[in-house]
Amino acid sequence: MLGGGLIIGIIAILHIFVSHFAVGGGLFLPLTERKAYCENDTALLDYVKSHSKFFVLLVLVFGAVSGVGIWWSIGLVNPEATATLIHVFVWGWAIEWVFFLVEIAAAFIYYYGWDRLDPRTHLIVGWIYFVAAWLSLFVINGILAFMLTPGRWIESPSFWTAFFNPSMLPSCVVRTAVSVALAGVYGLVTAATIRNVALRIEVVHYAAKWVLVGSLVIPVAGLWYISTLPPLAREISMGAAPAVTIFAGLSIFFSVLVVTFTYFGPYQHPRYFNLTFAFLIAVLALSTTGVTEWVREAVRKPYIIYDYMYANTLRLSDVEKIRQQGVLKAARWVRSHEIDPDRRAQGGEDVFRVQCASCHTVDGYNSIRFAVKGWSPEMIEYQLLHLNELKGFMPPFVGNESERRALAAWLQSLNPQPRMLEPAHPGIKAESGSSDAPEATKP
Amino acid sequence: MNPVIPAPVPIPLPAPAWLVQLLLVFTSILHFVPMNLLMGGTVILTISNYLGRRDSRHRDLARRAARAMPPVVAFTITLGVAPLLFLQLLYGQLFYTSSVLMAWSWLAVVPLLMLGYYGIYWFNLQQEELGPRAFWVMLLTSLFFLHIMKIFTQNMSLLERPQEFFAMFLAGPVGTYLGLSDLLTFARLTHFFVASLAVAGLGLAILAGAWREEAPELSAWARRYGIRWFMAGTGVQFVVGLWFLFSLPAEIRTPFLGGDRLSTAILGVAVLLAVLAMAAVHKSLAAGAVAIAGTICLMTVVRHLARIARLQPYFDPRTLPVEGQWTVFFIFVVVLAAGVATLVWMLYRFFRPAVTRVPSE
Repeated sequence: MLGGGLIIGIIAILHIFVSHFAVGGGLFLPLTERKAYCENDTALLDYVKSHSKFFVLLVLVFGAVSGVGIWWSIGLVNPEATATLIHVFVWGWAIEWVFFLVEIAAAFIYYYGWDRLDPRTHLIVGWIYFVAAWLSLFVINGILAFMLTPGRWIESPSFWTAFFNPSMLPSCVVRTAVSVALAGVYGLVTAATIRNVALRIEVVHYAAKWVLVGSLVIPVAGLWYISTLPPLAREISMGAAPAVTIFAGLSIFFSVLVVTFTYFGPYQHPRYFNLTFAFLIAVLALSTTGVTEWVREAVRKPYIIYDYMYANTLRLSDVEKIRQQGVLKAARWVRSHEIDPDRRAQGGEDVFRVQCASCHTVDGYNSIRFAVKGWSPEMIEYQLLHLNELKGFMPPFVGNESERRALAAWLQSLNPQPRMLEPAHPGIKAESGSSDAPEATKP
Repeated sequence: MNPVIPAPVPIPLPAPAWLVQLLLVFTSILHFVPMNLLMGGTVILTISNYLGRRDSRHRDLARRAARAMPPVVAFTITLGVAPLLFLQLLYGQLFYTSSVLMAWSWLAVVPLLMLGYYGIYWFNLQQEELGPRAFWVMLLTSLFFLHIMKIFTQNMSLLERPQEFFAMFLAGPVGTYLGLSDLLTFARLTHFFVASLAVAGLGLAILAGAWREEAPELSAWARRYGIRWFMAGTGVQFVVGLWFLFSLPAEIRTPFLGGDRLSTAILGVAVLLAVLAMAAVHKSLAAGAVAIAGTICLMTVVRHLARIARLQPYFDPRTLPVEGQWTVFFIFVVVLAAGVATLVWMLYRFFRPAVTRVPSE
């Protein structure tokens, strides 16, 4: 019912929202602690201490476990792509693991070390945390960016061509800026709970500046990032796929709301800022993260690794071979490797599982039953023949003719036939389908 | 029925299989130590919290030992990432298939881990405020971690049985395998669970040493109490270990019982070290800890040899093509060295603070 994409999406968006805070918050803590020392402000120092507890409880638990959750979900939903990424980047991931280890240890020592370490050492540990956390982002960002813009890796595969791909650097700048802005958002949440009014005003104003500074960089770096994307990805986000365009618009809309609310609220009028307002900004920031990451995932379609592997884990290099021999013959997890004329529906369902189930469920998320509702047999046939042309975000159907027809028959069986078309096409049978352009699609 | 195993990805291994296997075993050992402390530690804390209603020593023990638990959870997770990475590199096609066959169980690890982790923090930060409810928090937390252990044991066992994959796929629905009737997996789980009680007992005895100045009586008692757990756990393990060993198929068991000299020697030394640890632990915790660390290392090697043997008819990672990414590997080694140095420096400063800070002047 849920569909793999939705499971990954829910876990990933929550993880991203916290993990970027893990980086930005790592900068927020030592800088604010330093500010407290320089200004000899013990009240501010007490705030940093309490913020560090919130930080540890959120980042070390939710951040770390949801990061594990992403591994779990991508391995289940898209094992082939995960395995590919691990083969290309295993040493990158191993390096990131070391940063992760240092990051976790530094976070504990920072949190438990308030009364054990001298201020200088405590600050150094804070900086160690931030550097390790940012380097961790740097590595993971390279791997994520690779999936959308593998660049020269397609022609000359190596770790370096894969990691230093076209969108790696702008994406890293965007994510760093997002981290800074989110550090401010979380800072606003904890600042709103400060009882000392003077201190609350000071910290609220200070945290608002973090949101605004981060948000200033995001659009500039964002444009740079967009300029490195493949043309099809840009088209998808700018009109070719209405849902994606709407989400891209929402991303801008929510971002503007975050900046506007922060500027006119905590920045201009910190005195009147409260926890409800802080949660409003946090929810808007989470919404921004959610829709933006959704768009970033959506524009990668029809691929999961651009120009290398389709979203249904079919490698581009295998397309011709599979077209000739048939997708069921190449697949392992099917009940039969050929279409049995007596069990066409079962064969069609197997083809659906192999080719379509990475993105579609039958009745749940991205339901195929709903998607083909009201389609005539010719319409289904025509769509399958021209899937990638009609829907730019979908891979082509790859399989032999009998498989395509079995899939068409199974899709057709999902809904009762549309009554309107029957009188106009009395001769149509479910299995016909040689026509490339059905009447129904002509003006 | 012929086993159905997905093909490995058509990208060469970035290092020879032996090196990845070495890293897999090494990082597994790093994971097993905190994992044992976590599993056994939550059980011991639960019991002490309950007994603490009448016995102040148990109450104090639970209060003090709970402080050590959040880092133990964090390092169980963090140190578990690396072996999972190398496992996927070598045995990905088996691991993903077994994971998908038990997908819902496998996915449940994430929320269970989150709940267990917050349970540990809750118990640690609010033991007093929770009162008698603290026991229930910790009991549930222990059950969450035990369930995670069961799921891991099932998956690691299932990936070694690719001959069963296709029948399970056909039996469907995919993702719902629970493996409750598999006796071998149950023996393996019991083996791990009992080991965790012994290791956590030893960990408690060592931790109690840190309380010597503040609470000398508690420290001495907790040391004895921890050693009792260690002795009992290790003693029971001789029975459970034999049960597990004789649950294994004969062709896997025989090499460890004289069929292969090296395998037999590794298992023999591992058991001998456990006996030595039991003999030494009363006099020297350090000697006991070193001996049992040796047992953990060698048992992890035994586990890997058994995996290789079970998979031998179906898949051998040494047959995979290799194209070494040596520059990146070298960077990994340098980063690892720098990371370990940073960790050592931070821990050194933490446990031997140069200046004790005067709070809020």
